[in-house]
Amino acid sequence: MRSFLLKRLPSGLLVLVLASFLVFLILRLIPGDPATSLAGPDAGPEAVAAIRGRLGLDQPLLTQYVGWIGDLLTGNLGPSYAIGGRISDLIGNGIGATAQLTLGALLLVILIALPLGVLGATTRRRPVAAAVRAFTTAVLAVPPFVTGVLLVLLFAVTLRLLPAGGHESLLDQPDLAVQYLLMPALCLALPSAAVLARYLKDGLERALAEDYVRTATALGVSRRRIVWQHALPNALPSTITVLGLQIGHLIAGAVLVERIFAWPGLGQLIEQGVIRRDYPVVQDLLLLIVAVHVAVQLLTDLVYAWLDPRIRWE
Amino acid sequence: MTALTTPSAEAPRRTARAHRNRYLAGLLTGRGLTGLTLVGLLALAGLFAPLLTDLDPDAQSALALAGPSADHPFGTDDLGRDLFSRVLHGIGTDLAITFSAVPVGALLGCSFALLAASSRWADVTVQRAFDLLLAFPGIILALAVTAVLGPGRWPVLIVIALAEIPGFGRQLRAGILVQREREYALAARVGGASRLRVLLRHVVPNAADPLIVQTAVALSIGVFIEGAMSFLGLGVRPPEPTLGSILSQSVAYLSTHPTFAAAPLAATTALVLGFTLIAEALNRGIRR
Repeated sequence: MRSFLLKRLPSGLLVLVLASFLVFLILRLIPGDPATSLAGPDAGPEAVAAIRGRLGLDQPLLTQYVGWIGDLLTGNLGPSYAIGGRISDLIGNGIGATAQLTLGALLLVILIALPLGVLGATTRRRPVAAAVRAFTTAVLAVPPFVTGVLLVLLFAVTLRLLPAGGHESLLDQPDLAVQYLLMPALCLALPSAAVLARYLKDGLERALAEDYVRTATALGVSRRRIVWQHALPNALPSTITVLGLQIGHLIAGAVLVERIFAWPGLGQLIEQGVIRRDYPVVQDLLLLIVAVHVAVQLLTDLVYAWLDPRIRWE
Repeated sequence: MTALTTPSAEAPRRTARAHRNRYLAGLLTGRGLTGLTLVGLLALAGLFAPLLTDLDPDAQSALALAGPSADHPFGTDDLGRDLFSRVLHGIGTDLAITFSAVPVGALLGCSFALLAASSRWADVTVQRAFDLLLAFPGIILALAVTAVLGPGRWPVLIVIALAEIPGFGRQLRAGILVQREREYALAARVGGASRLRVLLRHVVPNAADPLIVQTAVALSIGVFIEGAMSFLGLGVRPPEPTLGSILSQSVAYLSTHPTFAAAPLAATTALVLGFTLIAEALNRGIRR
């Protein structure tokens, strides 16, 4: 296990360091510098130079980079340019809502994919198998923003069951908060659930074709027990890898879903940052998202190795 | 020596032709034909949009948010623009963007895969580059690119092309690794063909088969990315219509004027479903 960790950790860290270079550099490639646009069209060169000095833009690139990483590691994110307020506070305000959305979606992914995958692999009725396949194909083919609009039309406009958008605090009004959460989380979860269900179904079908399943059947072990206790644990490791990849998609997809359902999370913040050209906000959030993404991949590899000892010895 | 290479080098060429036939067989199933029809009809509608309607997609009128009528088959949007004309032109814009960006991404991805095949060192570098690109999932890539370039048509093209690079690159790299160890490739080497010639003439044509499926998938991802960027206000600038921008405009009026969303919703769904069906049909064709 330790040697496995030692082998995987460097490449994950390398990607993270390269990504931080990339995020840092691309935001300095921007035509026209932020100090000029911040100072406004009437500002004289002294005012621009003053702003540049305050933002540290007159320092050499390497000094700026090291300062930025240092600030990130100490949690001192500094002020935003255009949105107003300290970036730490802005992120603190949004991170709860985004965490609620992605974790809610993750829960739904598992709740949808597990029964669907098992059903697809074990059913002997052709129409059921065809329905599972059609559902996963349709959900995967349709972009999340189309699913979102359809969900609003169905649950908010036609059935009037759920609010079309907005957010409530989970601590103040739990029942209302869940109502607000349900549609965005479902919209975010559906594509990943379909992918996961497909992989689980394939893995389970492969496992069910193995010799030990035939042996167990011959020994009189019940079908239910074979599926859940013998085949599923063998199908799970590869499914976990896919789940890890899908968590990355959930984090990225949240930006879009937050937009559709007016969900006040980090996605809205980074979008505002891009549109209003608030580079420190964009820079910090991009790296935060990429770091979480890379960390989840690494974690997934570890869980895989823990579940499937064969991997550790390769 | 020639006696040894000729039959072995002939064999894969025959399988390549058989593969092409299997693609055709895959496309000529119900699934494939449905996909082709959907994409074909929408492409024709987008291409001949100026002939199908005389109404300017950007011309505003006082008749805002009207339902379907004889003059406006899909109704009008919040600025009184004809939705039939906007959706047709939007399909045209979407297809123009995806059909120009996807080949660029495919070409870059395949070039990287070829580069990776040249040496161990290049392979590691290219792999890390793909990892780096994949660390920025679709929408995050869009945010990073538009943070630098601002919103518009070019950033959409660039994001789609960049997002497609790792998919094509990894696919071709995996294919090359498998095919390069096959007997016909070794035989060609023994027969005196240079490494480059073996790679380009023998290995790549046989490794490239899955790329056709990848292309169909990539086209639907292109429509995804265009739509997502429009929703975030980072896409093609208004007033030029795209499917994503019309749909995102309609979201504010879903509860009061649901017919506004109907046409862009149907067109987007039909387009991505068409690409997906084609991809599935091709995939089944080669697996058979």
